[in-house]
Amino acid sequence: MPSEIITLQLGQCGNQIGFEFWKRLCLEHGISPSGVLEEFATDGMDRKDVFFYQADDDHYIPRAVLLDLEPRVINTIMTSAYSKLYNPENVYLSKHGGGAGNNWASGYSQGDKLQEEIFDIIDREADGSDSLEGFVLCHSIAGGTGSGMGSFLMERLADRYPKKLIQTYSVFPNQDEISDVVVQPYNSMLTLRRLTTAADSVVVLDNTALNRIACDRLHIQNPTFTQINTLVSTIMSVSTTTLRYPSYMNNNLIGLTAPLIPTPQLHFLMTGYTPLTSDANLSSQVNHNPLSSHQPVNVRKTTVLDVMRRLLQPKNMMVSTGPDKTNHHCYISILNIIQGEVDPTQVHKSLQRIRERKLAQFIPWGPTSIQVALSRSSPYVQSNHRVSGLMLANHTSICSLFERTLNQYDKLRKRGAFLDQFRREDIFKDDLTELDESREIVDGLVQEYEAATRMDYLQFSTTRRADRLDGVGDAKSEDTKSLNSGDL
Amino acid sequence: MPHSNNHTDSNNVATEFKGLISQLREGVHPKDSQELLDRLVPLALQYIRKCPDIFDSTPPLPEIICLDKIMTILESNPIWGDEDKPGSVFHEHYVVASCEIEDHRMRDLLANLILFSLENDTSYGKVDYGQQASIARPKTESKIRSSCSTTLQSNGISLNGNKNGVSVKPSSYDSTQNSVGLGSVPLPNYVVEIAKQNNTNTDYNVVQNAIYSFLGVQGKYLKKDVITGRFKLDPLSMQSISSVQAGMLLRLSELGYYHDRITKFSNTTTGYNAMGSMGQALMAKLKLELSEFHGHVAALQDQLNCYRETQMRDYVDRDKSWLDRQPEQLTLFKLLCWYMEPLRRMQWLTKIADACQMKKGGDLASVIYKFLNNGDPMVNKLATDLLTVCCAPLVRMISKWMLEGGIEDSHGEFFIESIDEVGADRLWHDKFRLRHSMLPKFVTLELADKILKTGKSINFLREICKVEEAVKDRKELKFVIDNHVSHIFSYVPDTTWHAAIETCYSQTSKHVLDIMVGPHKLLDHLQGMRRYLLLGQGDFVSIFIENMKDELEKIGTEIYSHDLSAMLDAALRCTNAQYDDPDILNHLDVVVKTPYPGDCGWDVISLQYTVRGPLATMLEPAMPTYKALFKPLWRIKHMEFVLSTKIWKIQMGNAKALRSLHDEISKATYRLHLFTSEIMHFVHQMQYYVLFEVIECNWVELQKRMQQAKALDDILDAHSKFLQAISVGCFVNTSTNMESHLEVVYENIISLENWQENFYKECFAELEAREKMQRAIAESEGTGRFGVTTEQKMERDQDRKMFEQKILTCCRTLEGFAGSYAKAVGGFLLALNSSDDHNLQLFGTRLDFNEYYKKRDTNLSKPLTFEHWRMSNVYGYSKSHMGGRYSMYPQPTPQFGRQGHVSLTWD
Repeated sequence: MPSEIITLQLGQCGNQIGFEFWKRLCLEHGISPSGVLEEFATDGMDRKDVFFYQADDDHYIPRAVLLDLEPRVINTIMTSAYSKLYNPENVYLSKHGGGAGNNWASGYSQGDKLQEEIFDIIDREADGSDSLEGFVLCHSIAGGTGSGMGSFLMERLADRYPKKLIQTYSVFPNQDEISDVVVQPYNSMLTLRRLTTAADSVVVLDNTALNRIACDRLHIQNPTFTQINTLVSTIMSVSTTTLRYPSYMNNNLIGLTAPLIPTPQLHFLMTGYTPLTSDANLSSQVNHNPLSSHQPVNVRKTTVLDVMRRLLQPKNMMVSTGPDKTNHHCYISILNIIQGEVDPTQVHKSLQRIRERKLAQFIPWGPTSIQVALSRSSPYVQSNHRVSGLMLANHTSICSLFERTLNQYDKLRKRGAFLDQFRREDIFKDDLTELDESREIVDGLVQEYEAATRMDYLQFSTTRRADRLDGVGDAKSEDTKSLNSGDL
Repeated sequence: MPHSNNHTDSNNVATEFKGLISQLREGVHPKDSQELLDRLVPLALQYIRKCPDIFDSTPPLPEIICLDKIMTILESNPIWGDEDKPGSVFHEHYVVASCEIEDHRMRDLLANLILFSLENDTSYGKVDYGQQASIARPKTESKIRSSCSTTLQSNGISLNGNKNGVSVKPSSYDSTQNSVGLGSVPLPNYVVEIAKQNNTNTDYNVVQNAIYSFLGVQGKYLKKDVITGRFKLDPLSMQSISSVQAGMLLRLSELGYYHDRITKFSNTTTGYNAMGSMGQALMAKLKLELSEFHGHVAALQDQLNCYRETQMRDYVDRDKSWLDRQPEQLTLFKLLCWYMEPLRRMQWLTKIADACQMKKGGDLASVIYKFLNNGDPMVNKLATDLLTVCCAPLVRMISKWMLEGGIEDSHGEFFIESIDEVGADRLWHDKFRLRHSMLPKFVTLELADKILKTGKSINFLREICKVEEAVKDRKELKFVIDNHVSHIFSYVPDTTWHAAIETCYSQTSKHVLDIMVGPHKLLDHLQGMRRYLLLGQGDFVSIFIENMKDELEKIGTEIYSHDLSAMLDAALRCTNAQYDDPDILNHLDVVVKTPYPGDCGWDVISLQYTVRGPLATMLEPAMPTYKALFKPLWRIKHMEFVLSTKIWKIQMGNAKALRSLHDEISKATYRLHLFTSEIMHFVHQMQYYVLFEVIECNWVELQKRMQQAKALDDILDAHSKFLQAISVGCFVNTSTNMESHLEVVYENIISLENWQENFYKECFAELEAREKMQRAIAESEGTGRFGVTTEQKMERDQDRKMFEQKILTCCRTLEGFAGSYAKAVGGFLLALNSSDDHNLQLFGTRLDFNEYYKKRDTNLSKPLTFEHWRMSNVYGYSKSHMGGRYSMYPQPTPQFGRQGHVSLTWD
């Protein structure tokens, strides 16, 4: 079937958001938790076969591969109502079940060891599709399995399926709270390297921003993972809505991502969504008498312009980029997916307004604009908003996220802390060049994003090369220094 | 003076005469009759001589006829024997007796007197004439005199040329005469006597002439002018009448002229008549008017005849009472009074009929309609009657057309015509049309259109849809339409007739609409065309292209449509199109055009939507537009496909693969990536604009209109407007150079694809060479030898240098593409910005949302400035671009200098 997409869920986080994602898709397509099409959804004009395939008994089965090194989350899924949804052959649990211990290197090595079994599953799934368009990877970059094994898988997939797109939904760790995973900066750095080199597009889901949005916008004191993951699943489902409810444009993954990504490295996308309502709000509205006084009043009148304007506000972004002091960051490209009752002519007017008011700052080195994709939304999911919108944006300020990781990494690395558990694994057996190379690549990425804010981005390649040629000596001496300190 | 003899004498004569006559009538012995007859004629002569001027006009019958009649009467009397031959006896006597009378008038009078006396029956005895006459005499006497003198007087005056005399009333004149003392003794004026003789003679003739002239018959005095057809006075007999009479005669004769004209107009052989069945109706009406007029004239003539007969009779009876009756006599004055009304009627009839000459059908009706607008109620009524009559055939045609769809129009006068050459396949759009020349002014274009559509719909239903059942309530409608003819030209179209037309129209329209939208699924088909021909079903299109990509790359001659049909089916099956009505999908087809040399699959393969049956009749004219629209849409999809799946995807993949070569090729790849993203932006914006802003927005509009549609034509109109709007939006057939700019952009995309292929081939060759080298080194190291020989190394370095050189060349070629692309886009943007179409201007700003092009090219902002508008208004478009603001300087030198300067900065 056409333009299929295989979803790979890795690790605790990846499986959780994946679970929420499938739940959401089932709801939108009218598929019951056991995979049977609901009575009311038989005449749908939606395209289910991008994400599902039908078994012989007409059950809808997600094109999903669930991978984890420890059984906890997958067991939860397999005991939930949705257990019958998944193809059990696609659920892979490491036999020794010990997990990766939040160690990237461990995940990576285990991935290497288990690759045959994993790729058996993936190859079978890929063979089962007519024209596979690409893979979607759900994982977090801070942990062990999602980051380590995810990195390994990305590299292998890029080799094995060079013509298929690899898109990831990568959860970045919360910077506001102190993580119990001390090697998080190392993990992040190493995963970022793979995201830079092996993935085609990365949708960045920043836990910092997600938590903040949950607290500030949805007024939840201590947001649970489930609540956060609902936000994530909303983003994932809306960002694929043009694939599932096709209209005139942006009906495949490549059509969706290609205009957003100008050069191969600048492929980290931010998302924004409005209007935001928590699950609790929604359910309370559904459950209670609509006339009851407890019902929150919807005070907003949502128009296309409102939605598009709000999407440009940083507070609605699912990435917390920190204050942009020099105010030089800009949009490389924007895609707004608008759902709901939209008067087509309104879109046009809104764009004109945004341009007149200069609500968004754009790159100076090439033509770009806000692309709009109008999409139908599922008839089975009631929304109390007339119009809702998702923004997929390529914004240069995302590099602040990487800078932050770089800083944290540098702090740890200078002290050479917590490297022992890494050294245990094959990849770091000889030396720690892997870490340094990763840092260099991520640093290059940050520099490229910085360069993209300037007019002379086109000359970036040459200047960077010169920089690198100059800096090679320094970096090496630094490396040796740090190596020495580590040895000592 | 004979008439001044004493009364008893004349009475004696009369008595004796009557006695003779009665003897004659009762029958006398033949012997006596000789004597009787001998006496009769002189007696009659004597009788007449008593008062010879009693008749003021010619006796009713000429002498010969009278004699004939007298002889017949005498012969027919049974008293006489056959051998007696009283007629011839009488004749002999008459001839002998009257031989000395030379005055014709006198002879006529004589003959008439005898005839009337003979004819008159036994009424003599009843009235005592003598007594009566004696009582009446003094009055009569004066009357006679006064009448004589009046005539005399008026004649005298009129002879003197003073027309005032006409208005003088005889009675008042009489009294004056008496008071002056001329009273009892009449003036023995010989001249007057003669004139009076003539006058009494002519008066009658003049009136008769006038009556003749009413019917267009020439008389003694009035002759027709050969050229103008108007009556004129006969120069010979003109002397005998006064100029007053002449004037009146001429005035009266006008009526005859109009009568002639109308006769002419109402006769088909003259060539002055109106034509067609409506013309026939008009002529019939004219004839009716004429015969009515004839009736009036006949009554006049009758009155004249009657008067003269009574006059004669009275004369015979020596009855003076006819003098009392004299006012009953027809005079020219009376005729003048009478003729005013018929004249006006005839005038207007002539005027209208004249305007209607050679006219037919609606044209004719329009002409008459113009006369309707008259304040004169008579004219208004007349015109209304005429128009009503005329419109009856028209209304019949309308009702036949609207209720049965037939045209019965042998004279080509209906305002709807059917074109025989047009076949049934084009029935809806071309078969029937309005004949504007035949459209009456009082039928608005809107109404005519409705009428046209109604009949067209009925024809369509019957011939194309094969629906025989007619709409209900037809009889009632037919009755209303047929029987309210005059409503058709009512000033305010709110009559029952109009209402019936409206009902008929809406009923029929509804019926057709229901049939087309219902069983024939018109709306679904439009939706289908929008989805598949206008590429609204995005997933279908991309899968279709994906399925056929190999075929599309082939050269045109190697493509066979049967291969493609399977691919089309596959694409339909596996996309959301599968949920569409199979009825719609069956109409979709893929066709391969005859390839021109150099054409590839993209150029020759296209989608086609085949419509059949009633739909084909409906949509046939729109199909070429769809074909024309499909081309640019298909092309832009082609470009998107090349850009995303060929260029971009390969770039992404190769960026990973060629990471190790990054340093060497990054200059080229960055240029490539940025160029690609620039084009990608352009193509996506273009696609978004065309597919969404143009097609989708207009489609929404169309759907709205389709839902509101009351008639099929509403839908078709909306649909053709929709297509037109899209054609403009998709730059199809625009007169501007936008199309050519677009073509350059597309060509650059194709050349970029080829360039990229070569470029990556070089890169991968280099990569492979390096890897081979590495392997060789590793191998040799493994076997314990030294890595590479100097020779190998030299060779490698050489290759590497060559590779770098190649990359440089590639860069240059790429710059070339970029240059020509930028020029094309610049031109395109300029054309958009300078366009009059607001939407295109906005699209221009959209393409340059972040003002990237504007900053690089100052020209682009110019069309949007006030200066530009002002200058282009004053000097035209071209000048404002070529330094138009400087052309205001009259001196040539500074102008040159400045222009040179300007062009320098522009370069």
